[in-house]
Amino acid sequence: MRKVSRFRAGLAVAACAVFAVACGTTSENSGQAPPTPSGSACEGAGGSYVIGMSQANVAEPYRQRMDDDIRAAAKAVPQFQVQFADAQQDNAKQVADVENFLTQQIDLLIISPNEATPLTAVVKKAFDRGIPVVVLDRKVDGDSYTTFIGADNTEIGRQAGKFMVEKVLPGGGKIAEIRGLAGSTPAQERAAGFAEAIKGKNIEVVAQADGDWLREKGQQQADALLKAHPDIQAIYAHNDPMAEGAYLAAKAAGLDQKLKFIGIDGLPIPSGGMKAVEAGRLSATFVYPTGGKEAVDAAKALLVDCGQVQKTQTLQTKLITPENATAEYAKANPS
Amino acid sequence: MTDQLTPEAAAPARSAGVAETLFRFQSLFGLVAVFIAAIVFSPSRGGELLFLSSENLFNVVRAVSEIGIIAVGMTFVILIGGIDLSVGAVLGLAAVGSAVLLVENDYGVLPAVLLVLLAGLVFGLLQGIASALLGIQAFIVTLAGLQIARGLARIVSGGQGVAIAYGEGPGEAPVTFSLLGERTFNGLVPIPAVIFIVVAVLAIVFLRVSAFARHVYAIGGNEKAARLSGVPVVRVKVIVFGICGLLAALAGIIHAGQLNQGSPNDGSGYELDAIAAVVVGGTALSGGRGSVVGTVAGALLLGVLNNILALNNVDPNVQLLIKGLVIVAAAGLQRLRPS
Repeated sequence: MRKVSRFRAGLAVAACAVFAVACGTTSENSGQAPPTPSGSACEGAGGSYVIGMSQANVAEPYRQRMDDDIRAAAKAVPQFQVQFADAQQDNAKQVADVENFLTQQIDLLIISPNEATPLTAVVKKAFDRGIPVVVLDRKVDGDSYTTFIGADNTEIGRQAGKFMVEKVLPGGGKIAEIRGLAGSTPAQERAAGFAEAIKGKNIEVVAQADGDWLREKGQQQADALLKAHPDIQAIYAHNDPMAEGAYLAAKAAGLDQKLKFIGIDGLPIPSGGMKAVEAGRLSATFVYPTGGKEAVDAAKALLVDCGQVQKTQTLQTKLITPENATAEYAKANPS
Repeated sequence: MTDQLTPEAAAPARSAGVAETLFRFQSLFGLVAVFIAAIVFSPSRGGELLFLSSENLFNVVRAVSEIGIIAVGMTFVILIGGIDLSVGAVLGLAAVGSAVLLVENDYGVLPAVLLVLLAGLVFGLLQGIASALLGIQAFIVTLAGLQIARGLARIVSGGQGVAIAYGEGPGEAPVTFSLLGERTFNGLVPIPAVIFIVVAVLAIVFLRVSAFARHVYAIGGNEKAARLSGVPVVRVKVIVFGICGLLAALAGIIHAGQLNQGSPNDGSGYELDAIAAVVVGGTALSGGRGSVVGTVAGALLLGVLNNILALNNVDPNVQLLIKGLVIVAAAGLQRLRPS
């Protein structure tokens, strides 16, 4: 009986799709399980679980690394199978990605949202169906998720400022700041924390420019900055690629030995900040952790151990200097 | 136009007729084929095919709606031998415009929607005037239009997404607008899909019965001949671009409702998805040949393909590859079509 009705419904919908006529007078609405209370997804160590990971944009190295970290951490949990989706920076695509995961009846959703508001509704839909939701790096509105894992950009900016004051220019001096994409939250927070830490320390930010998180844009902006202010002593960039771009600009102007560069992110990949510090191009970088491993840990706590997780988990940054760059890189990439 | 002589075309008249029908409705057959393939390859849970679950099918139709609406407008433009690269940016501008009018200026739903539609129409008409009257190639005009619309969207929004909150108070959008989001018609068909269907049906009927439609096909087939036989070429072209802009704005309004936000970067690359739907639908990029039915089928085909690849957890990078190959195959099949 059920089989027949499903077949008919399928045919009817196929007809809708093929002939693009308005149907929708039937009340068939199967396949929608009643929402179960959150936390009941746990079947213990004997179960097997499908995790959906919805990534905002894999084209960014940081996000590729986040996926890689999740993949690596999930390998250690035999009960886990992780499916990855890439929204290619399109909010609408990310909504569809999560809907497809829901169709697949995943056991847990990990999402790093492209933007907060557009993804809020679909994340709530998953959460309301009793699927635990781990939100990574960028938040959603409201509190319809299980746990948020991310780092504190203001604190990282503060530490970068402290390093500038204590280690780079203890006697004070002139610096330039290359900012991330205008209007983006990380750019605002990394600027605010830094400004707070250098306040009253005799360090003058003589120039600021938007580098849009991009290496080539950072280079262009630094080219112009160095022409206008050849006397600056250090450059603070909101991420490593822009700091590297600034380094290239300084090198072209013959100023690379006189200037110090500080970046943020410290990705442990060959083209990342850790290697740039190791090679001496940057004086320091601050690790902005992807949270990939922590997300899998949270999933394990929820699904396998039937435990609870904190609503918010703030990840700590780490200062990378030439002294510890090699060791930290090896630690982040166990062979 | 050179005739592509194929074995089918050279065969006796009856089989040529069959071949013609096959090619004419290529995308419909393609859609059926992809649909069947999707059923065959559908993962199942507890004996139920996930692809055929009503929820999933409605997700597919809803996800296709915006691109589908744009693609209908794009079909008109391509039928006259033009192209419109600005539609994705116009969608973004319309989404931002809707959000700003509803939230920051406290407009009612109807005035906001009408104003945004009007803006899209005017934007399209201006592009049409630049293209038809000044004789600048449509590719260049609409490439510039893309930049202008994107720039306007950033200016209007202040460079950031404008969130739409619902309520009665100031700074909140009327609840009616949220109909475009999760709410569904009869509890089943999402409103965006209904709008898409209405737009498609109107366009199909319009292209069947109106004199305007004959002018569209005539211009695409041979512009000079059309002009000499008294077709008001400039007027038809300008109107066609106006329709395309209007539909892009309509899609933008839906986009804002779907995502509860207008963001200046919304719709990047949508113009290419729309062109892909038109091409898969069997409309010739050189103009003069094609149909809205084909485009609708093409959009649905790509939507079903997207969905089944995702449900099978095909690697996202491989998904791009497969979609590219499908577009090439569809365009290649059209080359074999007896004309």
